[in-house]
Amino acid sequence: MSSLIEQQLRERATALLDAGSIDLFLGYRQGSRALRVAPFAARSSSEAERLVWNAVCVPNLAGALHKYADQRVGIALKMCDARSVIELLRFNQVKRENLHVIGVVCHGMADPELVEVGDETPIAWWDPASERPTVGPERLLEKCASCPKPVPDLYDELLGTVVSAPAAVEDARITDVRKLEAMDAPTRRAFWQAQLSNCTLCYACQTVCPLCFCKRCALSLERDDPRRQARDMGSIFTFHMMRAYHLAERCTGCDECERVCPEDIPLSLITEKLELDRGQQ
Amino acid sequence: MSERFEPNILGLLCSWCAYTGADTAGVSRAQYPANIRIVRVMCSGRIDPIFVARAFEHGADGVLVAGCHPGDCHYVSGNHFAQDRFATFARILDFFGIDERRFRLDWVSGAEGARFATIVSEMTEELRALGPLKMKVS
Repeated sequence: MSSLIEQQLRERATALLDAGSIDLFLGYRQGSRALRVAPFAARSSSEAERLVWNAVCVPNLAGALHKYADQRVGIALKMCDARSVIELLRFNQVKRENLHVIGVVCHGMADPELVEVGDETPIAWWDPASERPTVGPERLLEKCASCPKPVPDLYDELLGTVVSAPAAVEDARITDVRKLEAMDAPTRRAFWQAQLSNCTLCYACQTVCPLCFCKRCALSLERDDPRRQARDMGSIFTFHMMRAYHLAERCTGCDECERVCPEDIPLSLITEKLELDRGQQ
Repeated sequence: MSERFEPNILGLLCSWCAYTGADTAGVSRAQYPANIRIVRVMCSGRIDPIFVARAFEHGADGVLVAGCHPGDCHYVSGNHFAQDRFATFARILDFFGIDERRFRLDWVSGAEGARFATIVSEMTEELRALGPLKMKVS
């Protein structure tokens, strides 16, 4: 069962590709499992038929943009992804004239991680009338539950309609950051020590981050570096503190880092802290 | 006699003011603890926060970054950059639970030998009270 947005998206992608105004269209395709989608670049109208738009279109497409530098890209963006693209534009990492942005009204995406293993029924989640997942806020992604805005800040054309949003939920992440800030330094250190002791320095958080766009990273250690192999706590602290510092003025809180973290380290606490600090200045 | 904890302090000093200030402290025979190890850099604006993070990683208990007083930078605005950078970085250090007293950004002019000695003494005392950072494993 395909949704209205999905049909419109395919139509628009096909039209743009056929007209030759873009080289490729960046969206999602069905992933290896029912509740997974993967970023997908459609280069022809037949490939555009594989584009999907469902309740679990979670990955941030802005992160894939750097692969297609100097090509004319059509891209489907949710509000949070559009914020990342705006930052990329601010840092001259993509050219606005190469982008054709199809903004998609988004009322939150469901968190595939919260589904029980074996439960693969995405259709039941989709409410075709209002085009938003028919799940309560508790099964949405954490960032979506408290998201203030369904419409992206950047688009050339907009798909979808805004329906009255469900009552805004207090952002649990802000509460957690405040709790952490209220601790004294040694307790906070112990908290992070416990969390970061799980870190394997796999750098998934850095790889997925749409705003970590340096060609070579001064922070990542080589695979055979003894500090990396030994999971040296000092190196792990350095990496996460410096990552926070590098993202301090650009992070948009898309939470991709936390989503991909194989050890489930609460990295969104760090990004949320950065955002709160920015608000104070 | 119990052994007193002696902190390792890394000093990143700008060549034009703070390092000259440390030199003045030496020439004028001001007394300050020998816990500080000084690295001379051309400007406090040269100092990337990763230097500080790596210093902690490699066993420093405290880091002092010192440059020219605001407005006196040899390169006009280097210390302003340093100030902005380390304001952000200090908040991040604090958020990760590294005591804010372990990192200090201060301004020392070339003539202020006594001030440099005071800063190092103060910092050493504070760090002695705080104890080792224990970031370095090996």
